[in-house]
Amino acid sequence: MTPRKDLLDIASLSDEEITFILDNAVPFKDLFRRSVKKVPTLKGRTMLTLFYEPSTRTRSSFEVAASRLSADVTHFDVEASSIVKGESVIDTIDTLEAMRIDYVVVRHKQSGIPNLIARNTRTSVINAGDGWHAHPTQALLDAFTLRERWPDLAGRRILIVGDIQHSRVARSTSHICRRLGMQVAYLAPGSLMPRETPPEIKIFGNWSDAWDWTPDVVYLLRVQSERLTEPFFPSAAEYHRHYGLTDDRLRILDQRALPLMHPGPVNRGVEITDAGMNYSRSLINDQVENGIAVRMSVLYSLRPEPL
Amino acid sequence: MKRLYRNAQIASEDEPSLRRADVLVEADRILGVESQIGAVDEAEVIDCEGRILLPALFDLHVHAREPGQEHKENIASCAAAAIRGGFTGFLMMPDTRPAIDNGGVVQTVLESARSTAIGRGIYTSGAITKGRRGEELAGIAGMKKAGAVLLTDEDAPVANPQVLRRAMEYARDFAMPVASHGEVPELSARGSMHEGSVSYALGLQGMPALSEEIGIARDIRIAEFTGVHLHLHHVSTARGMQTIQRAKERGIHVTCEVTPHHLMFHHEHVGDFDTSFKTQPPLRTPEDNERLLEGLINGTFEALVTDHSPHTEFEKNQDFATAPFGITGLETALCSLYDRLIHPGRLGWHHLVRCLSASPRRLLGLPAVPIQRGGIADFVVFHPEASTRFDAATMRSKAINTPFLDQTLRGAVERVIHHGVELISA
Repeated sequence: MTPRKDLLDIASLSDEEITFILDNAVPFKDLFRRSVKKVPTLKGRTMLTLFYEPSTRTRSSFEVAASRLSADVTHFDVEASSIVKGESVIDTIDTLEAMRIDYVVVRHKQSGIPNLIARNTRTSVINAGDGWHAHPTQALLDAFTLRERWPDLAGRRILIVGDIQHSRVARSTSHICRRLGMQVAYLAPGSLMPRETPPEIKIFGNWSDAWDWTPDVVYLLRVQSERLTEPFFPSAAEYHRHYGLTDDRLRILDQRALPLMHPGPVNRGVEITDAGMNYSRSLINDQVENGIAVRMSVLYSLRPEPL
Repeated sequence: MKRLYRNAQIASEDEPSLRRADVLVEADRILGVESQIGAVDEAEVIDCEGRILLPALFDLHVHAREPGQEHKENIASCAAAAIRGGFTGFLMMPDTRPAIDNGGVVQTVLESARSTAIGRGIYTSGAITKGRRGEELAGIAGMKKAGAVLLTDEDAPVANPQVLRRAMEYARDFAMPVASHGEVPELSARGSMHEGSVSYALGLQGMPALSEEIGIARDIRIAEFTGVHLHLHHVSTARGMQTIQRAKERGIHVTCEVTPHHLMFHHEHVGDFDTSFKTQPPLRTPEDNERLLEGLINGTFEALVTDHSPHTEFEKNQDFATAPFGITGLETALCSLYDRLIHPGRLGWHHLVRCLSASPRRLLGLPAVPIQRGGIADFVVFHPEASTRFDAATMRSKAINTPFLDQTLRGAVERVIHHGVELISA
């Protein structure tokens, strides 16, 4: 297997590459139980985070992952940089190129920005979320978390609930789950369901039908109210009643002993309740911890083009 | 000075098959088209064995970018690109900066056009509303007087139906077609490609076919009500086309056009966010490609248009949502249509002559330029066995935003004769 330069989405990874990244994350996670959590793997290399959209969690996760691999970490402060002065992404990349960065971790509100950057630089580009397009490290950490629960995922059913239309997490996580043999269903209000989804994905408009499908795990998405520019649903309260994980639905989850996942950060009272946050079978914290191990594995698997 | 084009294959809109003939030209006229013309005194003889002679092409939809965006294109570079592609005439769109919305700007662009080698072939449209803002009527009478031949707000369709109604009622008496780009802006707002499986996979805001379907239906109804000749720009959806077909059957005065790229490409070609496939209206589905090609063959479409939309390399090298809409087409149209549709036997030369030469001219009230005795010598010598490579070094347009960049297509434009003058010689 030739190491790839970039991680832009799940679709471009081979099955072999997915397995390689997930398998290698296991020993990286074991490292966290040791008092010294650091290995010298990427000593002398530099990773830069380039976040055009704020995200404390994902950025920190990448920074911790890189530090534990002994890479130097630096942050390109977008707010303070000339990007807000209208400098184009391409011009910024020329600057980074001149700095001889090895890995650049990019988040942007427009789909396809990491692809554009990757085409124009030697640096390894890691997509940390672009628009509604892809969030491959989230998908990999979700798959890793699911594999911890069930070593063989074939035939398992995952129900993804929420704003599918605007969710890069839904796109990437559903993709990797299907690649690992799982069955995937989406549950969303009609106004937040894309008109054309892959035919293998089941579509539900209400919880009752979704329960009948007997999912093995429920994955809630964050309702990105701040991004909703059109009247997709009447109110957060109505969304919660019809599509959220209410306490009644939480009881069904508990009765069936189903694990719960969420990419964070959550909107309490919208897609989830306080009780949901305390649910004993929640895997949300596992997702956070696994995120570091998986991102270490991703950094380890990529190779920038030589100078 | 006479020129004798020997052993050519003549294409016409009337016959599916090519006719083998010699063509004799003197000054700007065709003196004779005969199966064999004997020796002519003092005539230059051009052997056209294996070549096809086509009536010169006319493009009803060109963005020449002058005035205001000359970094992308100007009328001179646009004319050079046109000639290279076998066009000796085209109609300019009014979406310049400022917009072509009064007689003064019409006069300015036409003067600029007159200084090119195809000056007499270049026409301009004018805006329906001032600044194409959809609010106040543009100076329609003044534009007509200065030489505008069609009214359109192009990619900024008049959203307010009352404004469109008044504009059509007013324009009717100036005997100019009113053209519309069928779209409901609210339905396609912020979109950058066709809404479907690919927009889902790439996470891009989609532009539903519905937007065009409703836009076309609305504009046809208002045109019928006001009695104006409505021309629909670059139809991209099968259902939009079917609505036009039904309107024609009911006798409504409506005409329409389609681009080569909406016949050849679909949303899957966007691939990995390739902005050279970002167009407005967007590339639809393979099914739409098929239906639109049928519409071209069965005569639903009067015109094939390139919608030549030049942009700089820098502008196109942005993320997909930010990059501007549009691809160029004047230089590649003929070779690409030959390579992709005529050579494989899916489209006839007579369809091409009708839709890319004769019918668009007639739509503007201009005479067609068939290759016949006594006619104007306005034709193209095309070599189907040769090939053409399209690259930055050889293309005449200032822009290279074409899906055919760095590709080689079957066929080559060897000579372009306009009013008897060889603008391109082999």
